[in-house]
Amino acid sequence: MDELYLDNIDEYVNDHDKIVTYKWLSLTLGVHVNTAKQMLYHYLDHKRKESSAQLHATYLVSGKFEDNGQTGHKVSVVKEDQLEDFKSKMSLIVSVHVYSVQKALLKDSGPLYSVDYDAVKDNLKNCSKYSAIRCASAVPMSSLELQQAREIHRAPSPEPVNKKSGMNGDANVASKPSTKPQKGIMGMFAKTASKNQGNEKDIKQEQKEESPVVDAPKSKPAAKANPMTNFFGSQTAKKLNKAEKEEETAPSSSSAEPQRQSSRPEEKQEAAAVEPIKDTKKDSRSKTKRIVDSDSEEEKMDKKKRRRIKKPEPDSSDEDVIPDSPQQMETRESTPSPKKEVESVSHSHQGTSEMRTRKRRRVLKARVFVDEDGSMVTEKGYESESYSETEEDVQATKQAAKDPFPAKQPASNKQDEKKSQKKTSANANKGSKQASIMGFFPKK
Amino acid sequence: MTTLTRQDLNFGQVVADILCEFLEVAIHLILYVREVYPSGIFQKRKKYNVPVQMSCHPELNQYIQDTLHCVKPLIEKNDAEKVVVVIMDKEHHPVERFVFEISQPTLLSIRFLLLFKNHSDTLLSHVEQLLRAFILKISVCDAVLNNNPPGCSFTVLVHTRDAATRNMEKVQVIKDFPWIVADEQEVHMQEPRLIPLKTMTSDIVKMQLYVEERAQKT
Repeated sequence: MDELYLDNIDEYVNDHDKIVTYKWLSLTLGVHVNTAKQMLYHYLDHKRKESSAQLHATYLVSGKFEDNGQTGHKVSVVKEDQLEDFKSKMSLIVSVHVYSVQKALLKDSGPLYSVDYDAVKDNLKNCSKYSAIRCASAVPMSSLELQQAREIHRAPSPEPVNKKSGMNGDANVASKPSTKPQKGIMGMFAKTASKNQGNEKDIKQEQKEESPVVDAPKSKPAAKANPMTNFFGSQTAKKLNKAEKEEETAPSSSSAEPQRQSSRPEEKQEAAAVEPIKDTKKDSRSKTKRIVDSDSEEEKMDKKKRRRIKKPEPDSSDEDVIPDSPQQMETRESTPSPKKEVESVSHSHQGTSEMRTRKRRRVLKARVFVDEDGSMVTEKGYESESYSETEEDVQATKQAAKDPFPAKQPASNKQDEKKSQKKTSANANKGSKQASIMGFFPKK
Repeated sequence: MTTLTRQDLNFGQVVADILCEFLEVAIHLILYVREVYPSGIFQKRKKYNVPVQMSCHPELNQYIQDTLHCVKPLIEKNDAEKVVVVIMDKEHHPVERFVFEISQPTLLSIRFLLLFKNHSDTLLSHVEQLLRAFILKISVCDAVLNNNPPGCSFTVLVHTRDAATRNMEKVQVIKDFPWIVADEQEVHMQEPRLIPLKTMTSDIVKMQLYVEERAQKT
């Protein structure tokens, strides 16, 4: 009875010319993946001893890998002839098992993905039935819970941005990929579910991502998993991580701002600052801090896709967070003015939680005086002026010259507080009492 | 019934589009797998949700596209019996022939057309699944084929009817891509071995792929 599976595999490989992967085998025969892996191994062994047909195999190797002093966990699918070579390069081998058996020598890894595609698609709801990865608390949400979660998610987005002032709530709506699996959306709200999701998908993606030849090491098993599928799975993760990152960068940047009195009216620009998210920078920072229940690797690939400004976590305790100064500094290294803006930013951020502080800002004002010739002269100049956050002006947008913020402010910015005026620097300097452009948008 | 014929035409065009897209991907994949061109010019792309290899070389791509553009009107009218990708060695003797036999249901019943309209999504995703299987089969076909000698080239032949070629001529003149009647030596192979690869049957098209291989290749 136990030998039947050998015949089964034989039939698939030799008669049907199939590529038999362990995952496909486990789904077809209804066995646990580990059993499937062992079956393949025995089959290979058996056939090799008989030395009858020409069989090729690919292996999955995972372990620790050193690269320029950085240790990472690498998972790879390698061809048999590269197996020993690959194993010797790893510093510690965690697991090696047969990935697939086939008659043809594969030139690239594409077919390995195609093989499992249909089998997995048919079993989408229970493709982890035989899997070795489990999380007890990962339970799919019922549709009612799902609805509620969706509504909750939509509600906060119209709210104006708070302490991370000016950050866009949900600009990601625009960048949503057109098709997402249902599970992806569910994963967004169930963090633990998302982790499991991510893991599961990661395994699947691995076979797509890995090429028979080992490439650059990955810092986490599925660092390069498909960004699209994990897009929603780690949305919450990304939010949390962003909060963390900014917290840690806050201390560093706060030292750079000695004075906070000279604030700028254009704090909103800082919001835009977050926009040109430098993925690489975040990558390095994200490694240092981790939110408990998020997968950092998912976040990494999300960076590329996600261009929105993260919504700050309500429970992030550190009020001193300076959200965007680091990015600001990166994007405008050349000008010293960013520093000043940073100061204003930080100052305003500090105040955001209270919503109302008096600030000083430089305003373009016209002074009229009589000069020595007896003629009236009107001079426009910047003057400091204190104002409270509740005032709305479109003042001194000449400042815009100093802040080379990308003009691309997502339209969903309307929720920004008035000071987060669109640095559409085309605004002419209006009188201080004129209705501001933000008057069109509902006041927070 | 005029309405029926209009539907008829649209439907024929849809099927022809699907098939031509598929043939383009298949030809690229055959060139990759059989090593007709060095693998460096190929790049992984996505089709039917699976990775496939397509060439980046502009002239090659243009050639394949022009070829299929001329074949499309034949498929629309269900005149193309077979589309053959022939791989030839240096002396222009064929070593391998990948034959795609295509047939479409001639009798388009009203019931069937309604079915197509209402359930086109499921129908098309089913077709996609079948085409995916074809792609997969081509990827692993070198298990059953011997290696080709170096320096091979390829060409595409279409088996069709005389009357249809006159229709083709119009397209050819516009495209400046003339087709000629194939030589006897390109069409027939000495001592061919037949290896069936895949068959698919669906409501809108039936296709069969097999390979004729020359017993001695070098």
